[in-house]
Amino acid sequence: MITLDHVSKHFQMGAVTVTALQDVSLQINKGEFVVILGPSGSGKTTLLNMLSALDTPSSGKICINGIDITSASRTDHFKFRRETIGFIFQAFNLFPSLTALENVQFAVDMRGNHHPKNGAAQQVLTQVGLGERVRHFPHELSGGEQQRVAIARALAMGNPVLLADEPTGELDFRTGIQILQLLEEQALNGKTVLVVTHNREISRVADRVIELSSGQIVRDGLPQGGKAAISDLHW
Amino acid sequence: MKQVQFWLRWSWRDLKARWLQVVAIGIIIALGTGIFSGFGGQKKWRINSLNESYGRLNSYDLRMTLTDGSYLEKEALLNALQDTQGVKGIETRLIIATQVDASQADETILVQGEIVGVDVAANGPHINQLYVNQGRDLIEADTGKNVVMVEYKFAKHYGLKPGDALHISGDIPLDFVGSGQSPEYFYIIPAEGVFLGEASYAVLFMPLETVQGIAGREGLVNSVVMTLDGSVDGKIVQAEIQQRMAQQFPDTGFEMNTRQEDNIYKLAYSDAKNDQVTWNIIAYLFLIGAAMGAFNLAGRMVEAQRRQIGIGMALGVPRFWIAFRPLLVGLQIAVAGMVFGLGFGALLSNIFGGYVKDLAPLPYWIIKLDMATFLKAALVGFLLPFVATLIPTWRAVRVNPIDAIQSGTLVAKGGGLTKLLNYLPIPGQSFARMPFRNILRAPWRTTLTILGVAVAITLMTMFVGFLDTFVATMDRAKEALLDEGGNRVQVNLNFFYPIETPNIQALDTLKTADGDPLLAQVEPRLMLGGTLKQGDTEIETMLELVSMDSPIWKPTFVEGNLKAGQPGIVLSEKAAKDLGVKVGDTITLEHPLREDTFSFRMITSEVKVAAIHNNPMRSLNYMDMSSASMMGLEGQTNLLVVTPSTYANTNDIKRALFSQPGVSSVVGITEYTDAFDEILKIFAVFLRIVQVVVLFMAFLIAFNSTSINVDERVREIATMFAFGLPVRTVTRMQIVENILVGIFGTLLGILAGWLLLQQFLAARVEDQLEDINLIIVLSPTTILISIVLGVLVVALTPILSIRRMLRMDIPSTLRYVE
Repeated sequence: MITLDHVSKHFQMGAVTVTALQDVSLQINKGEFVVILGPSGSGKTTLLNMLSALDTPSSGKICINGIDITSASRTDHFKFRRETIGFIFQAFNLFPSLTALENVQFAVDMRGNHHPKNGAAQQVLTQVGLGERVRHFPHELSGGEQQRVAIARALAMGNPVLLADEPTGELDFRTGIQILQLLEEQALNGKTVLVVTHNREISRVADRVIELSSGQIVRDGLPQGGKAAISDLHW
Repeated sequence: MKQVQFWLRWSWRDLKARWLQVVAIGIIIALGTGIFSGFGGQKKWRINSLNESYGRLNSYDLRMTLTDGSYLEKEALLNALQDTQGVKGIETRLIIATQVDASQADETILVQGEIVGVDVAANGPHINQLYVNQGRDLIEADTGKNVVMVEYKFAKHYGLKPGDALHISGDIPLDFVGSGQSPEYFYIIPAEGVFLGEASYAVLFMPLETVQGIAGREGLVNSVVMTLDGSVDGKIVQAEIQQRMAQQFPDTGFEMNTRQEDNIYKLAYSDAKNDQVTWNIIAYLFLIGAAMGAFNLAGRMVEAQRRQIGIGMALGVPRFWIAFRPLLVGLQIAVAGMVFGLGFGALLSNIFGGYVKDLAPLPYWIIKLDMATFLKAALVGFLLPFVATLIPTWRAVRVNPIDAIQSGTLVAKGGGLTKLLNYLPIPGQSFARMPFRNILRAPWRTTLTILGVAVAITLMTMFVGFLDTFVATMDRAKEALLDEGGNRVQVNLNFFYPIETPNIQALDTLKTADGDPLLAQVEPRLMLGGTLKQGDTEIETMLELVSMDSPIWKPTFVEGNLKAGQPGIVLSEKAAKDLGVKVGDTITLEHPLREDTFSFRMITSEVKVAAIHNNPMRSLNYMDMSSASMMGLEGQTNLLVVTPSTYANTNDIKRALFSQPGVSSVVGITEYTDAFDEILKIFAVFLRIVQVVVLFMAFLIAFNSTSINVDERVREIATMFAFGLPVRTVTRMQIVENILVGIFGTLLGILAGWLLLQQFLAARVEDQLEDINLIIVLSPTTILISIVLGVLVVALTPILSIRRMLRMDIPSTLRYVE
């Protein structure tokens, strides 16, 4: 599903070359719920940017769903993101001028699946528990509700890979738990879910934890102590 | 001091971060203050220059003009008037109509004109002196010789210089010794012509005795100019002169006017004043546009710093220092705007000064920087951006720190009027809805942008509306003059001649060079000056007596009727309106009555308004030839209307009649409308420049707004890119949004432009264009062009942001939390 083959990424900061990722190779299967864990500067966000074709590696190769995104053009990257990736951001990044329903409808429209009666968007919002809040604008929703709209938006894309960058970073514990539940459900439904976080507690519910440090994978496997139930989490 | 340096450094960084927007707003402010300072003082220097020119050439205080066809012995007239109390100086002239042939090897220049015979004895003329532009002045030794000084604007228009060949009616060659100017001719306005008529009308200054000889009026004059003692009451002098004239020359009609009543004088001064009103409107509109832009930018800058302001307040930084940073940015923009504006103003002032000098040259110019206007412009240029920053800063530092810190993403949210649109179904995808929502999510900013664009379109509409109005009025005049008999030629005679005169009868037999008939038709008419009176209203008129069954041309009636042989007058629509009369009413007509061969006096007669004609020129009014008996001119003519045969054209007629005795000028009827077209061409060039400048302003305002929007929505745009929405789709959404802004702004601008056009022209008509029935219109083409250009310029500005979007660091932008 997702294959990284000796991927490295270097940034030039004046005269200094900074290595963000160093010879990273891994494979992630369909339906896996993966947490990429690491402290600030470990390279986890850079990895996420590579996986979403927002950035290109300095060397190595990334294949997702059989597509080699490292050699693809800028236009192909846009197409790839449109057809393969669903994004969930720490700061939600909803469109403030659109209602919850329209934010989700935006994703539906992205795929060219125009539903005049907003059926699909409404359905996904109901699925994330916001069926009654569809006409609200983002600033009228709580943080948790906004993130649920963001998840609904990512789901409405119907893409096989969900990338979540610190999805609970701006949320309180209780709301964070609800978001993790939603993400776990997506993995159970067959989507590949990658969550980037520095919160070790969150990694306990993952099928697999990839831990990065100084741009290198220092650990790849089951969560320490085995996979925990979401209800067991606390932070 | 260190603290100030720290804040200065920080504010400088803020400025650099938005340098493009700052430059855009700086240019808009510079345009506004530049126009304000550059044109603000033009009235003052133009009036100073006029005062100087009239003063140094010793312009007349009082002028007396004998009724058309009347002449008096020079010595008798001087004897009658020169000891009039209060009269300081007095000089007589003989002014006769003529045709001027100044053709050069490569160009035929054959125009109508007048010869002003002036007393050149003892370095004269002393009143209405001649200013020499080229060559030399007239001197006493020229007396009796065919020496001429050509009015400078005519010479300049055709590039004529002393020594060039010049002939007048009768094919009389003249010795062209110089070109110059005189106060009565600072503007050239032929009797039936238009402002800036130097292309079609030549004024020649010659020694009085020479003109008397050419005209066969030895010892006679028909015009007197006088200067008065400064302390004397002009009205008393006029009354005494009237009394003396009535006693000495009871059968001779005359008119008197003061310098202030002189049409040229009035036009020169009112043009300077009215131009100032125009420039003020332009400057104020530009300044309003600049204000909109400045408020837009400053508001967004302060908004972007609001969270930092909150943090500063939370850390206990005094409000003064918190406000210092955004205010410093405002100050920097203000200083830049002011400096650029004044520089731009100086440039504009120079260009405009050159333009005015070229268009309406005066002998003396006093162009000085008007310090008051300059300082006012500097103050406005400075205050505008500074106040624009001060207001949002003041509001920002007044909120509770926590509200400022918690302002979240700080961008305009989906609140406000956006909610209204939630209930308005907009068909299509969510992409289609977003531009509509974005319009209303920041209603204040959208309004400022719309108003800014509207201001630019207002200016454009108003100026193009001027052109439309003049073109429509001109079309109406052309329709009136040229719809039938468009090939006719007016042959003005130098006096009244019996229609049966052999020379006139012989015109029918004139031949072309090939021996073919020259003329198809010849029709005698009369052209007289007069005054229409009704109540307190008086209108000067050129009264043409035309046979109402003329096969060549007669006026087209829009109301009423006048048949051949019937009494009554046909008024222009404007004359009827200004007099407040309609068909069937009676008005008083002051007109000449022939008493003797060279003697006419003015009498008044009651005449019935028989019809209204369609020519927009107020002064053109008509009667049937049968009314000639009212003037004692039965069987006489001073105007022949002829048409060329199939073997000839207007130029052939001009050439053939040029040397005929008694012919003073030969004018193709289209020359009158051609003169208008020439002026419209000059005007059109000027309007194109205005159009480009205002469109540039609309572009800057739209660019500024789009740029702010891109800044503010940078994370939304990054999100769209992250979801794979192509750049072209995002740009398309911005273009749709700008099209909406453009449409609103343009429509508002067209409406405001139309209202201003009416207001402005209404004021000008009263003041300056009272003789023209202006048809105030905004042509559909103008409206369409305004819409297309206005909307297009605004709509296309997002294209300039494409590069910025392409270079966007999407991951950083997505993670960025303000």
